[in-house]
Amino acid sequence: MRRSYRTGAPRAAVEADLFGTSAAMRSVAPATPGSTPETAIPVASITETARAVIEGSFSPLWVRGEVSDFKRHRNGHWYFCLRDASAQVRCVVWSRSQRGIPTSPDDGMEVTAYGQLTVYAARGEMHLNVTAMDAVGDGLWRKAMEETRLRLDREGLLATARKRKLPYAPTRVGMVTSPDGAALRDVISVIRRRAPHVSLVVSAATVQGVNAPAEIVAAIQRICRFGEIDVLIVGRGGGSREDLWAFNDEAVARAIADASVPVISGVGHEIDVTIADLVADHRAATPSAAAEAAVPLRSDLLSGLRDLSDELSSSLSDLAMRARTRLENGATSLKRAASIDAERRRAVIGATAGQLNALSPLATLARGYAVARTVGDRRTLSSIRDFNAGDLFSLTVRDGEILAHVTESA
Amino acid sequence: MSYEKRVARLQEIVADLEGDGVPLDDALKLFEEGIEILRLASDELTTAEGRVQLLIERVEGVFETRQIDD
Repeated sequence: MRRSYRTGAPRAAVEADLFGTSAAMRSVAPATPGSTPETAIPVASITETARAVIEGSFSPLWVRGEVSDFKRHRNGHWYFCLRDASAQVRCVVWSRSQRGIPTSPDDGMEVTAYGQLTVYAARGEMHLNVTAMDAVGDGLWRKAMEETRLRLDREGLLATARKRKLPYAPTRVGMVTSPDGAALRDVISVIRRRAPHVSLVVSAATVQGVNAPAEIVAAIQRICRFGEIDVLIVGRGGGSREDLWAFNDEAVARAIADASVPVISGVGHEIDVTIADLVADHRAATPSAAAEAAVPLRSDLLSGLRDLSDELSSSLSDLAMRARTRLENGATSLKRAASIDAERRRAVIGATAGQLNALSPLATLARGYAVARTVGDRRTLSSIRDFNAGDLFSLTVRDGEILAHVTESA
Repeated sequence: MSYEKRVARLQEIVADLEGDGVPLDDALKLFEEGIEILRLASDELTTAEGRVQLLIERVEGVFETRQIDD
């Protein structure tokens, strides 16, 4: 993006361009334009000529100075002066040129601005038409990143509480990166080594240049719509600050925050940290490290399964043992309950028998009484009127029955 | 069922069997379910071959995946 440029002296033939003739010929030729009041040239013509001369004399170049009078116009263009102790030059950054500049400079900032020196006819002013700029010590990049960080932080998107836990055993990992990049190869090799059962789904995006942010956002949203992944790696291999700039883009940060699955950032770092790192659920310093964080070692999973298998077996045998103990305890108490019951019944029977005994007429007979009854229908004969001379009747005593005659009635 | 869901179900079964609330008949059924889940989970780890695929969205919501040779 930055071109090296060596400033040269303005070309020697400027005069000839402006007047269309050499100074030596002026005395003999007819009056050259602008040499007399009669041949005065219009203003537009001189500014146009000045513009052509200046643009023809200076290729685009880097200029160093301090920013002053910075203004952001309603139409989106930026205007400011670059100055040093003894001079100043007006600068403009058209809105379409601002894409390549991290953010606007502040007054007082020491910057280098790259652009074409030209003349703005409407004002008759020379100015530098700026297309790239940075503050000394990457100041503009840092300022832009800090502005984005603050905005995201104010919305709570960087809060630790928002970070989602990574799945411990994903079977499908998603990745947003360039399909031709080293990052993808690194991630594939880590997954093959650690967890060969895990599949990788790649959602392709250009990861550097002006289109990178929009492509990365689209790729994140696409793979989230697809849905069949457990965790997502967003990353690329290392590069310069400009190369990695897409990962400081606010729209990329928001897409990461909105992702439907936990996101691991894996941007190869030559610089300290990106906005994507701050907003991701897990931050890894390289794509390989992101893959290591995403998938566990298969051997660990297998040993976990073996433990669970042991627990399952012992839980069933413990349960069977407890059931048996309960059954035995149950049998003992059942027996005890049964014997208590039987005794109680015997006691009840004894008592009832005593009562029955007391009520029985047999007991009365035992005391010496007798019962007289007719022989046929065994009616009890309890009055002298029941007896007629010559009747046969039965007499029951304690130990048996005898037949008797009435010899004389009353 | 995902691997993690399988393992979670397995842990639930072990916890149920370790408790006292399960009748013996149900316990045996749970145990059999546990054995089956173990088998599936272990198959998933040992026999599944991870693939690398490129995601393509034909139109919004219509996806296709294409194998990437690596």
